[in-house]
Amino acid sequence: MRIPSYDDLTPSIPDITPRDTLAHVHRILPSREADAGGGARPCAAAPGQLFACLRSARPPGVLMAIAREFSPRVERHGACCVLDVSGLGGLIGDPRAIGEALAAAADDHGPGIRVAVAPTQTAARLMAIVHPRVTVLAGEVAAPLSHVPIRALGVLIDEDGVAPGAGRTRAAARAQATAARLETLHRWGLATLGEVATLPSDALFERMGQAGLVLQRLARGDDAAPLVPDPGIPRFLQSIALEWPIEALEPLSFVLARLLDPLSEALARADRGAAAIRLDLRLVDRTTVGRVLQLPAAMRDSKVLRTLLLLDLESHPPSAGIDIVTIEIDPAPARIIQYSLLERAVPSVETLATLTARLGALVGETRCGSPALLDTHRPDGFAMRPFAPESRAAAQSRPRVLPSAGGSQGPSPGSRAPHPESPPSLQGESSASFGAAGRAPGLRRFRPPVAVRVTLERGRPVRVAIDRRGMPGGDVEQQAGPWRTSGAWWAPGAAPWDRDEWDVALSDGALCRLFHDRLIDRWFLDGVFD
Amino acid sequence: MAARAEIESLLRARKLDVTLTSAAPWARNRRDGAPTGLVSLDEALGGGLPRGHLSEVVGPRSAGRTTVICRMLAAAAARGEAVALIDASDRFDPASAEASGLDLSQLLWVRGSGDATRALKGMNLVLQAGGFGVVALDLADVPGSAVRQFPQTTWMRIGRVIEGSQTAAVLIGAERIARSPGGVTIALEASRPEWSGAADRARLLCALTLRPRVVGGKI
Repeated sequence: MRIPSYDDLTPSIPDITPRDTLAHVHRILPSREADAGGGARPCAAAPGQLFACLRSARPPGVLMAIAREFSPRVERHGACCVLDVSGLGGLIGDPRAIGEALAAAADDHGPGIRVAVAPTQTAARLMAIVHPRVTVLAGEVAAPLSHVPIRALGVLIDEDGVAPGAGRTRAAARAQATAARLETLHRWGLATLGEVATLPSDALFERMGQAGLVLQRLARGDDAAPLVPDPGIPRFLQSIALEWPIEALEPLSFVLARLLDPLSEALARADRGAAAIRLDLRLVDRTTVGRVLQLPAAMRDSKVLRTLLLLDLESHPPSAGIDIVTIEIDPAPARIIQYSLLERAVPSVETLATLTARLGALVGETRCGSPALLDTHRPDGFAMRPFAPESRAAAQSRPRVLPSAGGSQGPSPGSRAPHPESPPSLQGESSASFGAAGRAPGLRRFRPPVAVRVTLERGRPVRVAIDRRGMPGGDVEQQAGPWRTSGAWWAPGAAPWDRDEWDVALSDGALCRLFHDRLIDRWFLDGVFD
Repeated sequence: MAARAEIESLLRARKLDVTLTSAAPWARNRRDGAPTGLVSLDEALGGGLPRGHLSEVVGPRSAGRTTVICRMLAAAAARGEAVALIDASDRFDPASAEASGLDLSQLLWVRGSGDATRALKGMNLVLQAGGFGVVALDLADVPGSAVRQFPQTTWMRIGRVIEGSQTAAVLIGAERIARSPGGVTIALEASRPEWSGAADRARLLCALTLRPRVVGGKI
């Protein structure tokens, strides 16, 4: 029994074997026309394909709305739009019926909308340019296009030059070059597309290069690129006019749910999430209150969105009864979340947004979040940032140091540099059962610092007294200092500081950080080591 | 055992089975703890703080409560867990916490203003949100009378909120406050400061020697 090889399975092509290189195949194959405009291969009319073009001087939104009634595959080109009507044969009928159905739908929006149906996009667009009403090309497009004046190509090229999208600049430059070649064709005395289509391609390429071939393909009705459907940007907006004004937040919750549920469903259908929510409340005193919530991530859970809106309104209640409630959502691409079986899950973005809003309502918006140290030597210099924990993989990708129980580490809290006279090793001996576990003592900082009375001997504190209950005080048993810091004296608007810090062990067992404010000559308790 | 089963079935029939603790909360896996980052303490705890239970760290001023909590939070954050600190009196110092190894971006810090009730509400919100590895409530500088005003049912409810979850809840106080049946109490005795340098002007406070004692935790 003979086992078939790869050579047996592939269809035989004269002079070409499966092991030939692509360059070799290119040499053997008969020469093809060069690619059109920047390498895009032309799309000839495929069997069964049918496109329609709607053209009007009206705003493009009207044409897009008509086109979307017939097909979701719609592409806009300047003042016209092209839609793929290939699958409508079984539903509406032959191309003529499709064209008449489109014309009837266009008539509902007023006169002046041109309709053309053809097997290629280019043919449909060219026919819509030159024919005022309904045009249908069911079969060969070359003959009907041969009588179209050459100026129609100019319109086509202009529209492609202003096509929206990221490649707008390149498309405009390309269209400008092609339009220059079109002017050359005019000077040669060519008047119709049929005359351009019958020019010898090799000679045209020699004289005009790629742009000449592009013009010839357009004149033949070939498509330069497949149809790229416009995703559209639907507006996520819901509004309700209330029969009676609402003055409390609890009944407003039901109204918000009624508005947010369909919005959430619409976002899910469009695979979008809410990046921001705008809530407009029209009040009975004819004023409008607007609140905008910027969400930390795209989300579309209606319950979460409602909770966030209600919590925001609790902090900023409207001044009068509410007549009209309007919610508009700024959409953003939905998030793709990859969960891991091996990592412990962190709270979801929706959960954190709700939690942060609730905590903000409880303690204040600026009093919850993640602390971030500022690049300053100012004591207690930090800022609050929104809490956004990272996954384990992301957290471990950043270099950081976690001091080990017995390893060496920084000398003291507060990033204090060692004194020049201090010995190089700052490690103490383990003495208790949990010995060296307690490195880097934590500081419990008083905000604002507590004023204290300090007795000095030879410039060093020997006794600390505080006139408040529950505060540390007593004789100083051990002390370290002073450590002088100062700053911001160079900035007129900033609050300068200039102080001498002392770490002291008091007779009541407390380990405190005191400082002497040199600007006002007073002593304060900065914190307690714990 | 038969009588117990009968009582439990009666409670279930009347939809009162949520009051059952038949899951034997203290029969937890020794490995299912949240390591504190302090090796000796982890050994005494049998692996770390019990998850799904309310524990407490208590001791006098300067005993090392904040140091222990910072190391706990740092160890959890290093494992990629989100951690939360509800700071009733706004005493947390980010600089010293970061010096102890805590990744501040993993920390949710809720800054109170001395109101223990509000801080407790904040802790309840965080625990109900779920997903945190360690949640600490710092009541160390709240007057004892304010802490004692909370009835025991308050702490029972807190324990019920996290029961079965992967969160280790910790209370920080000057004296014992509460813990759930499966939780532990880490009682810190007065620590000994370690100074470096012989001369006064060269001296530096470099460490605290902790003296913890683990109470409870029926492992």
